[in-house]
Amino acid sequence: MSHYLITFLSALTEASALFIAAAGLTLVFGALRIINIAHGSFYAFGAFAATTLVGGAAGGWRFWLALLAVPFAVAVLGGVTEISVLRRVYGKDHLAQLVVTYALFLIFGDIMLRLWGSAARSVPVPSALAGSITLGGGEFPVYDLFAIGAAAGVGLALWALLQRTTLGWRIRAAVEDRELLASAGTNVPLLFTTVFVIGTLLAALAGVLAAPLESVAPGLDASIIISAFIVSVIGGLGSVAGAAIGALVIALFNTVGVLWAPTWEPAFIYLAMIAVLALRPWGLLGTAER
Amino acid sequence: MRTKHRQLGRDLLRRALLPVAAGCAALLAAGCASSSGGAAPSNSPSSSGGTVDIGVASTLSGPFADYGTAGLDGIKLAVSQINSEGGLLGKKITVVSGDDQLDPATGETVTRNLILNDHVVALFGSVSSGVAAAQEQIAGQYHVPIFFHIANDVGLTTKTFNKYAFELSPNTDMEPAAAALAFAREIGHGPVRIATITPNYDFGLDTVAAFLADLKKDGVSYTVTDQQTPALGATSFTSQLSAILTSSPQYVFVGEYGADLVTLTKQGLGLGLFSKTKVGAMYDVEVLQALGAQAPAGAIAWDRAPFWTDDSSQMQAFVTAYKAAYGSYPSEFAITGYSAAQAWAYGVKQAGSFSADGVVAALSGATVPTVRGDITIRSCDHQAEVPEETGTVASAVNATYGIRLWNADVLSPSPSQLIEPCS
Amino acid sequence: MTTILRKPASLRVPAGVIALIVVLALGPRVLSTAALLNVQDAVGLALFACATNLLIGYGGLVSFGQGAFYGIGAYTVALAWMHLNASFWVTLVVAPVVGGVAALAVGLLALRTRQLYFALLTLAVSQLLYVIVQQQESFTGGADGVFGPMLPGFLLNPGNAYWFTLAVAAIGLLVLWQITRSPFGMTLRAIRENRERAEALGVNVFLHQLLAFTFSGFFCALAGVLYVVWGQSANPNLFSWTESGYPIFMAVLGGQYMFLGPALGALIYEQARDVLLASFSDSQLVFGAVLLVIILAAPDGVAGLLNRGRRLLARRWPGLAPATSRAAAAARASGGQDTKPDGRPETAVR
Repeated sequence: MSHYLITFLSALTEASALFIAAAGLTLVFGALRIINIAHGSFYAFGAFAATTLVGGAAGGWRFWLALLAVPFAVAVLGGVTEISVLRRVYGKDHLAQLVVTYALFLIFGDIMLRLWGSAARSVPVPSALAGSITLGGGEFPVYDLFAIGAAAGVGLALWALLQRTTLGWRIRAAVEDRELLASAGTNVPLLFTTVFVIGTLLAALAGVLAAPLESVAPGLDASIIISAFIVSVIGGLGSVAGAAIGALVIALFNTVGVLWAPTWEPAFIYLAMIAVLALRPWGLLGTAER
Repeated sequence: MRTKHRQLGRDLLRRALLPVAAGCAALLAAGCASSSGGAAPSNSPSSSGGTVDIGVASTLSGPFADYGTAGLDGIKLAVSQINSEGGLLGKKITVVSGDDQLDPATGETVTRNLILNDHVVALFGSVSSGVAAAQEQIAGQYHVPIFFHIANDVGLTTKTFNKYAFELSPNTDMEPAAAALAFAREIGHGPVRIATITPNYDFGLDTVAAFLADLKKDGVSYTVTDQQTPALGATSFTSQLSAILTSSPQYVFVGEYGADLVTLTKQGLGLGLFSKTKVGAMYDVEVLQALGAQAPAGAIAWDRAPFWTDDSSQMQAFVTAYKAAYGSYPSEFAITGYSAAQAWAYGVKQAGSFSADGVVAALSGATVPTVRGDITIRSCDHQAEVPEETGTVASAVNATYGIRLWNADVLSPSPSQLIEPCS
Repeated sequence: MTTILRKPASLRVPAGVIALIVVLALGPRVLSTAALLNVQDAVGLALFACATNLLIGYGGLVSFGQGAFYGIGAYTVALAWMHLNASFWVTLVVAPVVGGVAALAVGLLALRTRQLYFALLTLAVSQLLYVIVQQQESFTGGADGVFGPMLPGFLLNPGNAYWFTLAVAAIGLLVLWQITRSPFGMTLRAIRENRERAEALGVNVFLHQLLAFTFSGFFCALAGVLYVVWGQSANPNLFSWTESGYPIFMAVLGGQYMFLGPALGALIYEQARDVLLASFSDSQLVFGAVLLVIILAAPDGVAGLLNRGRRLLARRWPGLAPATSRAAAAARASGGQDTKPDGRPETAVR
């Protein structure tokens, strides 16, 4: 019985970083209508920067510093990218946008390889969160619980932002109906930059948060972007709540599927994505395209 | 009439101009790209003086880039030392490299270009067995000796073997045999409960199957409680590890390596894997360095060339030189790369020429002096009779090297204990 | 329906293209083996890219999953050899059919979605096949792929393999070209320009797009067969979304709006990649940077740039202008009749 509890909690942990990353991706798509492949690069930047900042020191205060500082630093990069490159492709067709963000993905990937090399890196768990607690016969890491809590916190913060602030109102308006927004007098380019910066911040935050849970190595950007895509599609492009549900669905698929039918498990998530796209393309909680 | 024909002719010429120009440009570009494909031009090896090229076609980007890069670094160090001592047969050696991006098609292109454009006289192979098999085919086709020192699938010396291929690493029969000996030393005769987790592809599956068979041969009686095969490239192992823990094994054999092993270890630590079971995996210097203080003390470890267990003067000299050149300690792949380069150089000296058939004949069955000591290369399948060391992960930082490595109780089985006899 | 059933205009192959094929056929006489394999690879990729462009450039359907059919083509040959010891000459014909049928099935599902969702769905199909092929070791050979003497002896000679590839690609491209010039192709483009108007005119949009998807899948699979001829192997990477990206980038690089644009892109990409692979660092950076510059500065691709350059030069040397605009200039010069910029006479609407 403890096994199922542990498995479920592991799924929650996996869903946590994934949710934060996907929330950023889905917000950017909802408001800007851009699928940002380079979102995965920002995630990886966050993780790699954390390895540099924290080093091998198991001390812990450095990790908190990384958690606070790195996302903002990467967000600046995101803002610069949006202003210098992405603004030029807003009006163009989807193909142009996909190609541009993929090109950025390639460029960033190369930069990361140059800056951090090819060896696998690791961020140790901060000492304040080290160790595990016993849950019904099994052990579960404290840090994982923290990650779950952090994701819940981020979700709440995003909800507050979107529902309770003017900026959030504008973002929701952009997701619902962009033309109306411009005619209502909003500075649309500034809004877009803001949303993109928020999205990047979320990606990098997810990267730092996930760093103690896995190894940080080249290829991180590619693996997270695919997962984030799937989550965003299933949850609904543009919906943060959808991202939460999507992340949970995917994590459950992965954890349960692995035990059921291990050879078919990687296929499940793609099947789910195809099913959602074929039957209800705007996902569980997204807005139907006009 | 004539003007009409002339008009027609001129018209045709105009219409054809652009496509023909494009076609010629294409052929020209292809011809130019081929001849300039290498990093440095090479002279024909038969002339006196000048340089000779060797090619390293390996994985230099992506998740396993550090394996390929380490191998390349080891080879480059060997070559620079050879050159500083006057070169080989009076010629300087140049290392030309290409990145296969872990893709067999790219690997084929890179390897072929190295052979046909750069006229390399020797090749050093890739990280993955899939790419390596393709490289072996090409090397055999063009008669270029190829040395594998990272990819070690036993198929390279059996199924797809040709006489130009050499394997300098313990193969996928030998490595699990060493692991089995290490487990047997801990277990005794059993009976014990064992679980396995390994990546779901050739290498992973073969390793587990061989390990279990060898364990039986070593006289250990066991029951397998659970076997997990996560997909290649999985980023989370918690579900699989959790399932394994539920089956209550006493020992766990782990087939993951590199970055995946780092992830698995971290996630396993959180689940109490290392306190509830005894784990064995390829805890080499790169993984241990990445894990740092989180390295699981007491875990069974194996490594194809752990430099810290070898206190011979040549190894010490190599470690010092490597650290001076690259700023880090050499991984097993740097050492096997270095040894492979040494083996090739030995073959050239014995043969007195760079010719492929000469080098192959000289190396077949030869005993080659390398940084790891004298190594015999079997004549039947060109598998080098190399050991694979095993030990247990230390709890304290190693005084000499400043990182956590292994305890002193290193097991170093002789190659004959590991290798299958020639059929 | 009538647009599909009407025969296309007479088969007119521009003399230029014939000349191009002749020049390329000289390859084995002029080039080293390495360069020959290089051009052979590019020719195969050209077919892949142009088949994909039928969807992207002509149909306006951005599919990020044509690698699925490319891989199906390659694996049909490889697996038929592995399990059934089938002859290559048989699988050469069967593989594109399998690709077309698979495309039909996928299209029935995928074409219900629009725009970005369509791209994501096709990407998911591509990745789905990738993981399945990787995981089902016993049937597909797993992550390492399939190796072995799957080609007939005739094709082991580099010159023969090259001419074979050139011939198959030329025929494939010819058929594709005819498709684009046919009323079907025109209708497809009309749908791309304005879907609602096409529907209002009574066009069965879904059927047209489905057929385009099927044709594309057929020829992508044929390109996959050519891959096997080049590499004598098949591996799961052919199915991945990154592989699906290549023909798109070649189309963008070379020019999506001209039929042979993607072929040009394939050629350029192949040469550049070879040069970059030799210096292993930063190949991704260069590729990314080039894509960025092209999309932002020259969305018509290299072919578009060449065209623009040609028109600029034509102002100084009228003889260089493309045929249609010369005809228009001649018509205007001969007086009176209004002509549209591409040479067609303007007719007043009564």
